[in-house]
Amino acid sequence: MEKQHVFDEIPDYLDGNLNDAAKTAFEKHVENCNDCQSELEEMKAFLNVLDEDVAPPSNRLKANFEAALEQEKQHQGKVVQLESKSSSNWTGNVLKIAASIALLVASFQMGSLFQQRKADADIAQLQDETNQMKQTAMLSLMENQSASKRIQGVNYIEEFEQPDEAIIQALANRLLKDENDNVRMTAFDALSKFTSSETVKNTFIDALGNEKNPSIQVALIQALVQIQEKKAAEPMKKLLEKEDTQPFIKEQIKAVLPTLT
Amino acid sequence: MRKFTFILMALLMGAIAQAQSDYTKSLDGIQWVKIESKTDIVVKTHSSNQLLIKSGPEVQTPERAKGLKLVGEGGTDNTNVGFSVVQDGSTLIIHNLRKNKGGEIYLPASKNVSVKSTWNGDIEIDGFSGEIEADAQLNGGVKLLNVNGPVTASSLNGEIEVQFGKVTQSSPISLYSTNGAVDVSLPSNTPANLALSTLNGNVYTDFDIKADEKDGMKSVLGRNIKASINGGGVKIAMKSTNGNMYLRKK
Repeated sequence: MEKQHVFDEIPDYLDGNLNDAAKTAFEKHVENCNDCQSELEEMKAFLNVLDEDVAPPSNRLKANFEAALEQEKQHQGKVVQLESKSSSNWTGNVLKIAASIALLVASFQMGSLFQQRKADADIAQLQDETNQMKQTAMLSLMENQSASKRIQGVNYIEEFEQPDEAIIQALANRLLKDENDNVRMTAFDALSKFTSSETVKNTFIDALGNEKNPSIQVALIQALVQIQEKKAAEPMKKLLEKEDTQPFIKEQIKAVLPTLT
Repeated sequence: MRKFTFILMALLMGAIAQAQSDYTKSLDGIQWVKIESKTDIVVKTHSSNQLLIKSGPEVQTPERAKGLKLVGEGGTDNTNVGFSVVQDGSTLIIHNLRKNKGGEIYLPASKNVSVKSTWNGDIEIDGFSGEIEADAQLNGGVKLLNVNGPVTASSLNGEIEVQFGKVTQSSPISLYSTNGAVDVSLPSNTPANLALSTLNGNVYTDFDIKADEKDGMKSVLGRNIKASINGGGVKIAMKSTNGNMYLRKK
């Protein structure tokens, strides 16, 4: 029995859970066994610590704590709460709303502006392509065998606001070289809208020297007088000297020549 | 048998006689027929696809010219009716070599025709649906009847008279005269953009168009009228520097 320690029964013994027989046997063993005795004492002491009431802090401690807290409060920097002005509250809100509306409108405007720019660029590109096509059509029509088609080609000039040099040159060739009077006349009409161009001025002066059709001669004379082209005086004088120049052309030249010289 | 030979001979003689007075040539592959003449020229339509030149009742070659060929500006008489006919690609070039006699030429209505009169001859073209170019370079006039356009006509001293059937809308019409009148009849429902201009003449019309005058003043380049009729359409340009212009409803 001595060798069989009763450590497991200690908590039950201390709690009074052991029956009489077990209790007697336990006590008898503990008397003879030093190990179990010391174990029992330790256990007893431990349980006693738990059972002991913790003393509540005294009033003095509480007073000391309060005093210390007060002192700490005194030392701390004062925190000032910024009081928002209640009067500016509604204007602020209105401003905020206004700002967000402005932002919305601005971003919408920006968006549509960019959209517009892109559309403009697209249109410009398309315009460019159509102009290219028109120009090709115009130039090829002007070489057609049929006089009516050549006139149609020349009339295409109405589609161009600012014809480039290639078109002007092609029209000038029609005026100077086409065998058909109607085509030359139409080419003259087309070119007469662009008399500020040097090419056109020089073409008119050349044409006045070569042209046989009196209708075109008189139209050339009037156009050159209107832009006060001094270099036109020379071919006009030559026309005056020619025998086969129509009388009404000569009269016209006599009337306008003084304004050029 | 003798009777049969006689009939055959008569037919042959008839054929030879026919060949002497008229000239025919097939027009296969020909698109344009260009005619040049110093004297009056009349171009009419017929149904067969060939060129027919009628020389008229009398073809008199001078006694001394027997066995010789007539040579003129445009070439040699290779038709025996006083015309030279030369083919150049898809174009047939016809010259009237005689200076004092006109000719009558028949062509299918669909052919494109270009006629040039270089001296006194009047040009008359009747009933073509193809393109027409007429140029009376000196004293001749131009008369175009029952044509559809496109038409290009010019004259120096003669007048231009054009009577349109239904006007083709594909390609512009251009009628210019220096000293002659320009007289045009159009079906009243013709859609067109009109450009009429004159320097010293006047414009008369029963179409509903008005001249834009700059503050009632005559513009420097004469009178220019632009107007569209029946909603606008093919461009019709008429111009006479010194003559009057007449635009009529048909």
